[in-house]
Order: sequence, then C-alpha cells, then structure tokens
Amino acid sequence: MKQFLYGLFILVFLALPPVANLMESVMIIHMHMQMPLLIITGFLFARLFQLRFPRFFEKWNRNGIPGIILFGVIVTYWTMPRSMDEALTTQGMEVFKFISLPILAGVPLRDSWKKLKPIVKNIVFYFFIFVFFGMGWLYIDSPVQLCNNYLIIEQITLGWGFITTAICMVIYLIYVAFVDPTKYE
Amino acid sequence: MQTAKSQTFKDKANKVMGISKEDALLTKSYIFVAFAALLLGGILGLIQGLNRAGLLELPSWLNYYQVLTAHGLILVVVLTAFFTIGYFYASLSHTLGGLLPKVRTMAWIGFGLKIVGFVLAVIPIIMGDASVMYTFYPPMAAAPMFYIGLALIVVGVWMCAFGAFIQVANWRRNNKGQHVPILAYFATGVFILLFFGSVPVAIEVIVMIIPWSFGWVETINVMVARTLFWAFGHTLVNIWYLTAVSAWYVVVPKIIGGKRWSDTLTRVVIIGLVVMNITGGFHHQIIDPGIAEAVKFMHVFMSLAIGFPSLMTAWAMFAVFEKTARKQGEKGLIGWYKKMPWGDVRFLAPMIAMIAFIPAGAGGIAQSTNQLDQVVHNTMWIVGHFHLTLGMSVVMTFFGISYWLVPYISNRVLTPQINKLGVIQTWIWTIGMIFMSGAMHWVGLLGSPRRTSFTTYGDNATALSWSPYLMCLAVGGTLLIIGVLLQVYAVVNMMFFAPKGETEFPIAEEEENASKTPYWTERWGLWIVVMLLVVAMAYVIPLTEFIVNAPPGSPPYKTW
Repeated sequence: MKQFLYGLFILVFLALPPVANLMESVMIIHMHMQMPLLIITGFLFARLFQLRFPRFFEKWNRNGIPGIILFGVIVTYWTMPRSMDEALTTQGMEVFKFISLPILAGVPLRDSWKKLKPIVKNIVFYFFIFVFFGMGWLYIDSPVQLCNNYLIIEQITLGWGFITTAICMVIYLIYVAFVDPTKYE
Repeated sequence: MQTAKSQTFKDKANKVMGISKEDALLTKSYIFVAFAALLLGGILGLIQGLNRAGLLELPSWLNYYQVLTAHGLILVVVLTAFFTIGYFYASLSHTLGGLLPKVRTMAWIGFGLKIVGFVLAVIPIIMGDASVMYTFYPPMAAAPMFYIGLALIVVGVWMCAFGAFIQVANWRRNNKGQHVPILAYFATGVFILLFFGSVPVAIEVIVMIIPWSFGWVETINVMVARTLFWAFGHTLVNIWYLTAVSAWYVVVPKIIGGKRWSDTLTRVVIIGLVVMNITGGFHHQIIDPGIAEAVKFMHVFMSLAIGFPSLMTAWAMFAVFEKTARKQGEKGLIGWYKKMPWGDVRFLAPMIAMIAFIPAGAGGIAQSTNQLDQVVHNTMWIVGHFHLTLGMSVVMTFFGISYWLVPYISNRVLTPQINKLGVIQTWIWTIGMIFMSGAMHWVGLLGSPRRTSFTTYGDNATALSWSPYLMCLAVGGTLLIIGVLLQVYAVVNMMFFAPKGETEFPIAEEEENASKTPYWTERWGLWIVVMLLVVAMAYVIPLTEFIVNAPPGSPPYKTW
C-alpha cells in the first residue's frame, strides 16, 4: 500500500499543470523523462494489484510474455511523433497517456520481468535497442518537422537521446555477456 | 577455499606487520608530492591574496593571472590528485591484503606520467604563455605544451584508476560473495568517478583544444568546450569531497571510540554520489547563453539531487557521535560534544571540516539555484565558496588523515608534540579560512568580481567600499600561510624524523546488531550503466543545441 501511495503521489505531481507544462515544453523531457516516470509510477502501483488480483495475473500473465508484449506495444506507441503531438493537442489523448503508461506499461512490466527467462529478457533488450536506434535515426535524419508542437532542433535532440540510450543498453548487454558474476558472487 | 584461507592469513599478517615496504614507498611518494604542492601553492596563494587586496605590487615579470593559474593548478590538480591516490592506494593495500605487483607498477607509471605532465604544464605558465587560469576556458588559449601536460596528467590518473579496478576485481575473485571492505569500496567509487569524469575533459583537451592551440584548426566551439570542461570540473570537486567523506564514515568513528553506523547507508551514499555527480557540472553554466530557461530549471533538480547524499551523511555522522557518547554515559540532547576527543588532531581537523561543510553545502545549494546564482555568479562569492569546500571541508580532512597516515606508512608514531602542533595548526587554519572565505563571500555579494586583479575602477565609490573586506581576505591569507608551514613541517617530521614505532590504520568496525548489507550494492557494472544513462540524458540537450546550432567558432585569444 505504501508503494501504491508513493506511486500515486508521483502521478499526481506529474499531472499538476505547471509540472506537466514544463516537462512537455521540451520534447526530449516529454518523452524521455515524463513518460518513463509515468511507467515508474505504474511499477509502484503493481505490487498492490498483484496482491489484490493474484488470480488475474496468474491467469493472463503466467509466463510473463503477454505482459511484456503489452508493455512493448504501449511504449512503442508512445515513441511515435504523432502520439506525442496528439497528447498535446487533444485532452483525451493526454488523459490516455497518464493512464496507459502506468497501468498498461508499468504494471505489466513489473509483473512480467521476474517471470521472464534470461533469453526473453535479452530479446526485449534487442527489440528496444533496435527500436531506439531506429527512432533515433528517424528523428535525427528527418528533414521536416515531425511534430507540430516541436521544432526541428528539439527533434534532433530527441534523436540523439534515443541513440545514447540505445548505446547504454548495448553497454549493459556487453557487460552482462562478458562479466561472469559467478566468478565474483 | 584455499585462496580464501591464505587471504585471511595475509590479512592478519598485514595487520600485524603493517604495510609492505613497496606499498609504503608508493604512498609516501604520492603524499610527499601532495604536501610539496601545498607549500608551493600556499605561497602563490599568499602572493595572490595580498595582490588582490591591493597590498602588494607584483614585479613586472609576474602577473596576477599567471599566479592564479599556478595556484589553482598546483592545489586543485596536484595536491588533491596526489593525496587522493596516495591515500586510497594505502587503503587498498591495507584492506585488500597488499597491492598486486602489476597494480603497483601501474601506480608508479601513473606517478611518472603525472609528474611529467605537471612539469610540461608548469613551464609555459612560468614563461607567461599560459595565464589562462586553472579553468582554461577557450577562447583564451595557452601554449600547446600546457594542454599536452594536462592530457598526460589525465592519462596518469587513468593508469591509477585501472590499477585500482584490477586490485578490487582480484580481491572479489578471491573472496566470492563478500562485500568489498568499506574503504576499498570508497576507492572504487572515487576511481570510477575519476575515470568517467575525466573522459569529457580529455575529449575537450585532446580533440578540441590541442589542434586549435597548434593552429591546425582555426576556430573552436566555445560552448561545447565549456560544457565538457564542467562535466569534469564539478565531478573533480566531488571526488575530493567523496575522499574526505570516506574518512568521516570510516576513520572518525574509530578515533572517537565508536562503531560505523549503517553500512548500507554508507554504500548507498557512495552509489548516489557516483551516479548523480557528472550531470551536476551543468549548474556551473547556469548563466551561459544558448541554453533554454526550462532546461536550466530542470537541471536544478540534478544539482540538488547531489545534496541529498550529503544530507544522509550529516545524519549518519551525528548518529555516530550521539551513539558513541551515549555508550560512554553521556545524556541530554546534544551532550555528545562533551565526550569527543577535541584535543586529538585526528578528530579535530575532520570534525571542523565537517562543520564547515554545513555552510559550504548550503552555499552550494544557493549557487546551483538559477535565480540565486544570478546575484553571485562570477563574483568573489564563488571563490569564497570553493575555499570553504575545498580549503576547509576537504583539505582539513586531508590534514587530519595525514596525522595517522604518514606515521603509518613511515613506521613512525604521532608524538604528543606533533599532535599539539596539529591542534594549533587546525585552529590557525580555521580562523584564517573564516576570515578569508567569509570576506570573499561578503565582498562577492557586494559585487566584487572574481578572476580580476586588483583595481579600484578609477576610484569608483562601490569598488572602494570593497577594500575593508579585501583587507580581511589578506589577513586570512596570511594566517593560512602560517597554517601551511606548520602542516608541511608536521608532515616532514612524521615522515622522516618522528620516533620509530607502530601506528594503526584506523578503520571502525560495524555495529554489532547491524543489518545485512544487500548484495546489489556490489553490482558496479549496473550502477555505471545507470550513471552513463543519467549523463546522456542530462547532456544531450545542451550539446545537441551547441553543435547543431553552432556559432561561427572562435580563434585563439591571448588576453594577457
């Protein structure tokens, strides 16, 4: 319950108009800070849901695959320029963002991650490295504005944000591949 | 199993026999250079302070900015780097059962590279070709040799960092599943920061500045250079701080006869400082052009985040004091202070250092806040701030460490006379620094600029009103040089002349009923990736802006 309240507090804080406006005023902060924070709130919500509805998760997310696919779909959806633009212009989409990222991405991520086999975890990383390099290339290389709300320079910044994040994921995978924890632990 | 056993035997032998001769010589050399730098840098500081107060006219062959560059470089780079590395290599040797021969070799190569680099950097300063001040921002350009020297110093530091990583990894392989001893853990954090923090400045110097100062490229992107500089500069500040903090957590409790409080908290503080540090550099650019207001505002969070582990440290330290005093029968809310060994310099110096960090940290929080910084940016306030943080919190802790570390590596003892001298030195230093740093803070609020030699601006009334404060600054500086002389004398005495004997390496034990430290604190690989992610997020906005919308670039300038 404590975690749930922390999550709720962060969610309410992020939804406060001055906070939301500030974060959404910079493209990369909108996508790479506000949205991950929303997923983290969902992460914090998840524990209560797991305790309250154990049968639901047991039935629908036994091996973690459905949950991680839902997470992947929702996150990929929110990396698209159009979805971000709509969140800024249509109130309904903004509400959907504040609900979908915590509930449909954060909650399933937490429920799924521990259930996944290492190979599936790696596949998830490969998928997101691929998506992030791809989106990075799109945002950097696009000669035109992709969002009505953000200038081209912001778009390029976001692109580099994607590329650097992808590089960090690659570094992590290399670390996991080459450092054998059994030697140390 | 066999290795684990022999390791414990080695540990025991190490405890009984003290540090091995080779390891002692290494640390001794580092510490000797550090305190030689203190003497030289201190003298230059005095000259600079007297000149800045309008009391001393420099001869025509010496320039205020030249003195400033040398004073900064010698104290900010040489003193701190050599002390930090010497101290942590002694800690690694002591807590991990002696240095591996190859690690020792690496540390010696690092020593040589740093000395050569330092000499190369100093020559152009003496010749008057590198009065760019220790922040060496473009478009001011020094002679190429100055930058080549700096690059060599960085490579020397990297050698030492990798030596430490090899040492720690080797220990972990031989002691599977155990937590790295706390001082070695601090060393790991510090060397990770030293390596990753100096990558940006290496890029700045090697890729951007050296070709430009040779004239191979005509212009330089000033904003990118500044950004890379401060990603390193702020990290360096916190490396010294983390070094000092290691003594607060580990050594001070032992000296007051107490135990370490919460191993988990200590390790979380280290991880926090490592992960969040590099991005803090951005607050040095809060007044810079080319960065949107919203971005500057977001960065206030990044900077204040670093304050959080420091508050945890304050909490932990007071907990240790209170618990120790209560065990000794002290009662009351703040009665603990009566039980503290105020006459022991090994406690007194770090204790005053910690107390100084209360105003120093508060000042830092003020400066990293956009609006408040508008008042003090580039004034003497900033100079006062870093003399309070580095000159008091960090350096006084280093002094406190020297009173047991130097006898320990020299197989000598701390005599009551030297202890008394140390106590006097500590008080002189404290009073001197209160005068100097206090005056700098105040005169900064009144508008006196930093990085500017003495001038009355044609007897302008405002500028004249600064004079009394500058006089206080000079008084403080004079007291400080007395402090420097006493300290250097004490170190030389303990290193070469004090009576032979055993000195303990004071490491406090954990409390008896301490909770188990979770193992995730040992997963540095993960924390490094998190750190890189935070750095990437923080710097992608300004760097993309500066590179994509780059201004025409600047040719090199020699302003002196």
